[in-house]
Amino acid sequence: MKEQMKRPIKEVIAEYPAVGTALDEFDIGCFPCAVGTCLLGDVVSIHGLSPEQEKELMGRIGEIIDGDGSGDTVAAAPAPSPKAAAPKTLKYSPPVKRLVDEHLLIKRFIALVPALAQRLDLASEEGRQVVLSGVELIRVYADAFHHAKEEDILFGYAEGTQEVIQVMLEDHTVARGHVRAIVKGVEERNSTAVAEHLLAYAELLTEHIKREDEILYPWMDRAFSTTQVGELYAAFDAADARADKVAIERCQRFVEELEVSLSIAKKEEL
Amino acid sequence: MSEFQGCPGSRSMSFDKGDEQSSDDGTSRPTELRQWPVQLHLVSPEAPYFQGADVLLAADCVAYAAGDFHKDFLKGKGLAIACPKLDDGQEIYVNKLRSMIDDAKINTLTVAIMQVPCCGGLLAMAKQALEGAERKIPLKSVIIGVQGEVLSDDWA
Repeated sequence: MKEQMKRPIKEVIAEYPAVGTALDEFDIGCFPCAVGTCLLGDVVSIHGLSPEQEKELMGRIGEIIDGDGSGDTVAAAPAPSPKAAAPKTLKYSPPVKRLVDEHLLIKRFIALVPALAQRLDLASEEGRQVVLSGVELIRVYADAFHHAKEEDILFGYAEGTQEVIQVMLEDHTVARGHVRAIVKGVEERNSTAVAEHLLAYAELLTEHIKREDEILYPWMDRAFSTTQVGELYAAFDAADARADKVAIERCQRFVEELEVSLSIAKKEEL
Repeated sequence: MSEFQGCPGSRSMSFDKGDEQSSDDGTSRPTELRQWPVQLHLVSPEAPYFQGADVLLAADCVAYAAGDFHKDFLKGKGLAIACPKLDDGQEIYVNKLRSMIDDAKINTLTVAIMQVPCCGGLLAMAKQALEGAERKIPLKSVIIGVQGEVLSDDWA
């Protein structure tokens, strides 16, 4: 069992599919993850389960893998059902809270993507500009402003958990691929490709942000010392001071305007 | 406890521990204090131990209530102590804290107070200083119960 804890989750689930189901019952959604390089041990510890829940989950995994329920950690007493557990209240340190808050604008854009993809008008300059403004939001705000803070600063504090961080970086890489494909689609006036990659980007980022807000950030936050929280805060301040504020404001305005225009378009279509 | 019993900050209470074992293991613990003075009127924001430091601003009573004050709260930090209920010149406190933030460029400020209502004034002072400062830093609030338990430990 100890050896299994050091294996990538994808390999473990491939060999023992019931492990994926057990994780899913504890709201640990590794089953559909395309990357799956997180180690089983990290997956269990990162989700901030209560000691009772962790014991129960480990017992279940041990039962599946070893067939004897031991798994090196036996659930000594019946634990409360994971589904019955009270919802977790997420608390963040000030620098991590800032990252969570930055997700809000990205989430507002993502929420508009299905309606945008449905109403693409690549034949007109105005229609193309709407998509390119979305691309600017992704490149300037989501990537240069937000992801850069993660990649250049935050992830530097994740020593010893490279597999988990690798999954997040892989998401960033895949997202950048979708953005390139969107730009290419606009140049080629290929509405199908633009819609497909816009929707794929939205789907990827929805899951990515949820994992960061609810799992990765709280997990990292729990390990930060007071000194590290101060250092992160100062480093984020310095990064924000270097950011292109005019472009950031343009991105914020774009989302506000898109919300209004798509809302009007929807009403007109009714 | 339904009858009026006066100010919670000065109400008499005793905590009889009965036969409860103390945790005295016979060894002496080194102090984690690395500076002098400590009283907020006496410390200078220009002192070297505040430069870029994580600073603990503790209400006077905290060190007596929290059994492991040195290990759990003071270790690795610069210290200032004050009483928001009894001390005079509290506007000087606010200015001094602001100077720690802007001039000494402290890294973080942790405010440790007792659970009694009047102690909240110390956290309010710290917030006022931070609002008036040009720099922004993370501010943490720790509330200690009158029997030494940590009631909350949160970033403000």
